[in-house]
Amino acid sequence: MNDIFIDVDCSQVYKHGQKIGGDVFLLSRNPERNQIVAILSDGLGSGVKANVLASLTAHMAHNLSFSPMDLTHSAKIIMDTLPVCKERKISYSTFSIADIRYDNTAERIVVNFLEYDNPPALYYKGSKNIPWTGETIDLQRKGAFKKELLHRQTFNLEIGDRLLMFSDGVTQSGLGLSMPLGWRIGGVNKFIERTLESNPEISSKDLTKAVVNKALGLDGLASRDDITCACLYVRRPRRTLIVTGPPFSKESDHILGEKIKAFNGKKIVSGGTTALIVSRLFEKKLKVDLLCWSSDVPPASKMEGIDLVTEGMLTLSKVATHLEAKTPVYDLPNDPVKKFIAILEDSDQVHFIVGTKINEAHQDPNIPVEIGIRRTIIGRLRKALEDNYLKETSQEYL
Amino acid sequence: MKKKDKILVKICVGTSCFVQGGADLLLYNDFLNPELLDKFEFEGCSCLDACKRVDNATGDETRAPFVMVNGKLHGNMNPEKLNKLLTDELK
Repeated sequence: MNDIFIDVDCSQVYKHGQKIGGDVFLLSRNPERNQIVAILSDGLGSGVKANVLASLTAHMAHNLSFSPMDLTHSAKIIMDTLPVCKERKISYSTFSIADIRYDNTAERIVVNFLEYDNPPALYYKGSKNIPWTGETIDLQRKGAFKKELLHRQTFNLEIGDRLLMFSDGVTQSGLGLSMPLGWRIGGVNKFIERTLESNPEISSKDLTKAVVNKALGLDGLASRDDITCACLYVRRPRRTLIVTGPPFSKESDHILGEKIKAFNGKKIVSGGTTALIVSRLFEKKLKVDLLCWSSDVPPASKMEGIDLVTEGMLTLSKVATHLEAKTPVYDLPNDPVKKFIAILEDSDQVHFIVGTKINEAHQDPNIPVEIGIRRTIIGRLRKALEDNYLKETSQEYL
Repeated sequence: MKKKDKILVKICVGTSCFVQGGADLLLYNDFLNPELLDKFEFEGCSCLDACKRVDNATGDETRAPFVMVNGKLHGNMNPEKLNKLLTDELK
């Protein structure tokens, strides 16, 4: 696993009263080619039509970014392809494309950034905003209804750097209400700098949420346009270790102990017997927390040095089900599954140590619920984490 | 009553106990005689290691869910039985 992590996330609020938005954010990671592409597009108008335009733009930009084609040429193709609006007789949608490539160790991260008509993206080193120095390209496309200027820049990202993209809903928030000309990019910049100063390690998810909530507040809590903010943040990865199942042979117990001790990050032990083994190895008391459980998830326990101790198969399969359904954490009842998912969502790399000893009691045909096979559930967890949450996962058997 | 004078009741919350009725036992605050609550101390236990002894041939006695009262293991537990067990324990 890499020692550098590129944290990309986005927050969004649709225009007040709309069920669908005209801002589209697309992100895809292609680990085989060491490439990440993030695209933000804002379609003309709002609602379904805008969504179609923005989706079209974003998907085209996305596919073209993975081709060897030059980004400027891709932009031309996108603009030539967009359908023309019946009322306004123009075809129009804005976009920002961040094409991120890194080498195998992720020590060198190069961003190819292209922007058309979105508010200028902001680039931060620590909490300091670094002004753009990129070039401006006049497309001079045939049949263009206005001057089409593309902003393009290539730069290196280092640890602690952030790149933020917005739709105009952010910069125009509060327009004519609390602010005569809206929040504007200067105001957004000031807000982000202040947030970064008070919380230098804030995740992309929290930072974008803060920006969007602020913009929504300026709009009087009834957004007058789709508000979208996306952030790209380079940092050290947050790691989580999940230990589940007792090792196949007793002799391997101490290997498990050493692995847990050596791990740098959050630690979850999932499984009653496993917890007992770990408690014995570390000579730490295990205390079941009878306040934290629900009718289908047994209570969690507390142990010094371990962030979360839960029951095994029932908890894991419930976690897998929620990860597959992308259930938001705040919708979950206060049980071990909620704590489990909160830790997972907050990590970038998840490592599983899977014990291979079989619990004979689980094979009892009289048990009223189906207890799955550990390996299958870990497979489901990993797939959901990788596909739905874009986490890196790895596993080993013991 | 001081905490150390209370009799310790351990309720197993391991997977097989939990799915076979152990979850109901965790609601001890609701079904136990209120007088009992004061005399016992309740604690969860991640596994009492009793599930491995479950054997269909030996009948109902040793089935999950398990509860340990004052160091003694009791199987095939349910709310009514636990109420009775704890009442007897005080006699």
